[in-house]
Amino acid sequence: MKTMLLCLTVNGKPQAWSIAPGDLLLDVLRREGYFGVKRGCETGECGACAVLVDGKPINSCLMFAAQAEGREILTIEGLAQDGRLAPLQEAFLDHGAVQCGFCTGGMILSAKALLDRHPHPTEEQVREALAGHLCRCTGYKKPVEAVLAAAGGKEAER
Amino acid sequence: MFDQVEAFCRPASVPEALRLLQRGKGQARIVAGGTDLVVAGGDSVRVLIDITRAGLNYIRRKPPGLAIGSTTTLAELEESSLLQKFAGGILPRASATCGSIANRNLATVGGNLANGSPAADMATPLLVLDAQAVVAEPRRRRKVSLAAYLTGAAANQWQKSILVELIVPDPPGGRHCGWSFQKLGRTAVDISLVNVAAGLGLDSKGRVKWVRIALGAVSPAAMRAAAAEERMVGRALDSALIDEAAEEASREIQPISDVRASADYRRQMSAVLTARALKECAAQAGGSK
Repeated sequence: MKTMLLCLTVNGKPQAWSIAPGDLLLDVLRREGYFGVKRGCETGECGACAVLVDGKPINSCLMFAAQAEGREILTIEGLAQDGRLAPLQEAFLDHGAVQCGFCTGGMILSAKALLDRHPHPTEEQVREALAGHLCRCTGYKKPVEAVLAAAGGKEAER
Repeated sequence: MFDQVEAFCRPASVPEALRLLQRGKGQARIVAGGTDLVVAGGDSVRVLIDITRAGLNYIRRKPPGLAIGSTTTLAELEESSLLQKFAGGILPRASATCGSIANRNLATVGGNLANGSPAADMATPLLVLDAQAVVAEPRRRRKVSLAAYLTGAAANQWQKSILVELIVPDPPGGRHCGWSFQKLGRTAVDISLVNVAAGLGLDSKGRVKWVRIALGAVSPAAMRAAAAEERMVGRALDSALIDEAAEEASREIQPISDVRASADYRRQMSAVLTARALKECAAQAGGSK
């Protein structure tokens, strides 16, 4: 099988991986041990495989790995710093927004991308940011509350 | 799914991309956002040609109008201050309805059209803006009307060429004009069951000076409702005229029944959405409701 070299940055660390030219980013990330990137629908509908590419959420099941050449990837594994959870992760736990956890990584990454651009989003903006993430356990109320709480914007919104 | 792929190419220019496409002899596929291509799969694809680094990512003034590079993402259209001020912002408004943010960060405007789906959400607003498609072929560039491009894309006629740019002429000006984009889907991130874009201008007496109506997902390719437009021009804009035009539009289309909706439902909703779009245009234009 033909292979090619993929050079990218994942969670702040430069990586050089051998990939097949037709590999999808989801498969490569999981092969390299980033299991927080979940394999869900594989058609871009569920958001479980979402990662940030240069700060923007994308579904890694729809992106060829070779398209990530030179890009900076952030997976859920890269969010905690020095063993401390990020405020969004804490907020998801505090608000009961995590049950089985399958959708959580993608949701938190999409929420992070939103808060990086709009530190005090409206509830509608949060709902739009999470609209591409399907959750079969908690539903959508608690994750929205968690994101608003992490932003400290809930009272302001009311 | 793409197990047979032997090379992933990232050409830095359109001529290079075209050479690779020619050399691929039918086993090469163009990749932009990938959101349609990956889902469709490609067991026989040997070469992938990524054109997102070929200099086709831009939105700029090109008098008398705008030029939009084909690999500009839907998210970029949505955020463009140039487009937000252009024709009532219908292009950003339409792109904001195309699936989730994660998909709009990958999906491109060119891919949305080149994929040939009748439900492409960018097709109807570009049709009412009288856009032209610039198609690059090995030895020439052609400008074709978007309507012709879409019909060709639906019939898979552009296999040996690359959609490189959309030219969007400045719309008719004047204070008394309005624009609208309406979409019906099951959820906020769903594909269109029907979508409608419209624009109209009124003269000083409240008569329709010009009107453009386009419908998507209700015919083999998104289309202008020419007969409905013709009925309106020169007549006083009121709710009876809007209803008449909406009915006419729903007769011009050729909807199909599929897993999402029946042809009959699509036809009825086409009239509803057309009326809604025209009412919004009328409100912006300052005409009677």
